Amino acid sequence: MATVTYEHVTKRWGDVVAVNDLTLEIQDKEFMVYVGPSGCGKSTSLRLLAGLEEVTEGIIKIGDRVVNDVPPKDRDIAMVFQSYALYPHMSVYDNMAFGLKLRKTPKAEIDKKVKEAAELLGISQLLDRKPKALSGGQRQRVAVGRAIVRNPQVFLFDEPLSNLDAKLRVETRANISRLHQQLGTTFIYVTHDQVEAMTMADRIAVLKDGVLQQVDTPQHLYDHPGNVFVAGFIGSPSMNFFDATVVEEADTGKFYIDGGSFRLAVPDSKVEPLRPYKGQQIIFGIRPEDIHAYEFTPPGVVPAELDAEVDVTELMGNEIFIYGLTGGRQFIARVDPRTRAHSGETMRFNVNMENMHAFDPSSENAIL
Amino acid sequence: MSVKKTFLSPWRSLLFFVILLATLVWLLPFVSAILTSMRSNDDIITRGFLALPRQISFNSYKVAWTRGGLSHYLPNSFIITIPSLVLTLILSSLSAYALARFRFRGNRLFLYMYVGGMMLPFQVLLLPVFRLTDALGLYDTYWGLIAFHTAFQLGFCTFLLRNYMRTVPGEILEAARIDGCSELRIWAQIMMPLTLPAIAALATLEFTWIFNDYLLAIVLLRTDALKPVTAGLATLQGQYVTDWTVIVAGALLATIPTVLVFLFLQRYFIEGLTLGTGK
Repeated sequence: MATVTYEHVTKRWGDVVAVNDLTLEIQDKEFMVYVGPSGCGKSTSLRLLAGLEEVTEGIIKIGDRVVNDVPPKDRDIAMVFQSYALYPHMSVYDNMAFGLKLRKTPKAEIDKKVKEAAELLGISQLLDRKPKALSGGQRQRVAVGRAIVRNPQVFLFDEPLSNLDAKLRVETRANISRLHQQLGTTFIYVTHDQVEAMTMADRIAVLKDGVLQQVDTPQHLYDHPGNVFVAGFIGSPSMNFFDATVVEEADTGKFYIDGGSFRLAVPDSKVEPLRPYKGQQIIFGIRPEDIHAYEFTPPGVVPAELDAEVDVTELMGNEIFIYGLTGGRQFIARVDPRTRAHSGETMRFNVNMENMHAFDPSSENAIL
Repeated sequence: MSVKKTFLSPWRSLLFFVILLATLVWLLPFVSAILTSMRSNDDIITRGFLALPRQISFNSYKVAWTRGGLSHYLPNSFIITIPSLVLTLILSSLSAYALARFRFRGNRLFLYMYVGGMMLPFQVLLLPVFRLTDALGLYDTYWGLIAFHTAFQLGFCTFLLRNYMRTVPGEILEAARIDGCSELRIWAQIMMPLTLPAIAALATLEFTWIFNDYLLAIVLLRTDALKPVTAGLATLQGQYVTDWTVIVAGALLATIPTVLVFLFLQRYFIEGLTLGTGK
């Protein structure tokens, strides 16, 4: 059981900065997910912790121990790789037992641990097989099994689901979450898939270009993204962004977001932080599910109408994605499945401004 | 073979004929060697090399084995070949692992040195090698020959194995490192088994090359009792100037080990090719 701490960690390859001044503390027993687009430094951060790469600057601690110069095998970690990295010439049993054998664990204990882990993962009947005789899902479980038997302080997962098909991925996702609850160990999980991050994590660390953007619980990250990148990256479909101006109506003193082709009233609760931006440009953000079809607006949403042309509709069964056009800019709305919308028509939407987001256009940081 | 007549179009017939011809030409020396070995020397002198034997006799094989000295030349060949082969494979796979998998200053330089060494004509080095062996006190010993066989094969083997080892997915080695493997153990327990197809192929080639070496053997060995079969057979020519049947019989006996090695390792070779290391 251990905490993991990055203190001002930087990793450089020549001129390329893969991880830039990362400071992050992961709690004991926490399920932390590193997420970001490819090349954002998430895998490198994990590999630095595993000891597969050397830290250029800064300190990494597991528990209270600085591990910068500790070889991987002595860091008390286990890692599941994207390609699973099973030893092709060994049986499933030997794959799982290998690490224990190297640690001179007594034979009987190895046997017990391997069988327990196999039981837990439902691969007991596969122990004599070679990896090439296994399906992708089975290999993935063997890779997890190999990590479990070692009983490490920290589990590291490097995109372990990206080689599985969609259905298996959902299933395995739940299994890994369950495993985390059962083992009660610190998990660190790297993915580029924000859905995986949202569904599994206790906390998510969003990275971009080697820089940590924001660390928070999935819900808080979703509701209060710290900048435009996080807002756009977390959530699917992505948040809609518009260049807009903050205006105050002279006679009523009410604030509006003026997007040129639309004008939406700012709720009273959001006025104060926006006041300094009066008359200035901001980036206005609104999530697709906060744009409702006018006739199916849920009760309690203060009307803020937006008229737009319907470009494309996508039927999902339980909802419809409408690609709307306003002032030449496209946005996505997730609307009630009963909504009737046809391409080329003009349609009235209702925007739930209680959930609006606003960002400073120069720093791209959140204003609200 | 039950090839249906309908498939024998003119084109295919021609192809078949050409292949048949090529095979016969290819086999001719071998068949004539077998025939020669079973004839008597007098028969050859009177009727020439290309004639069917009047009498079939295996006497030449017996003579080659006993008086011809194959009974000690052939074991010598193994005493020289096997340690050379083992040393070559161990040393080259170690250096190949380092060159394939570690980033260090001079990595490329070492590789180019190996490749460059490969390109040097071996004959150019005969004299320096002879002098060096003499200076080291290894002249006319098994170890001298073994050391130089190993040294000469190292470049090629390292180059080949290094390229093969680069195809092994790095994550497997990293997994082993996290599992607690030292680098030497990764080499022995992960890299070597995964490189088996290449090792088997190399072992076959190298066995043939070292076993069939003639030049290095006559340069580095003087004592008859130490000579391998290739050099030994050559001495027969002096002693029995006209006894071709014995020389040919000896040569045929000398090919048996290489053929066996090839047949044996070929199976591993094909098995190894199907060994999947990926996901």
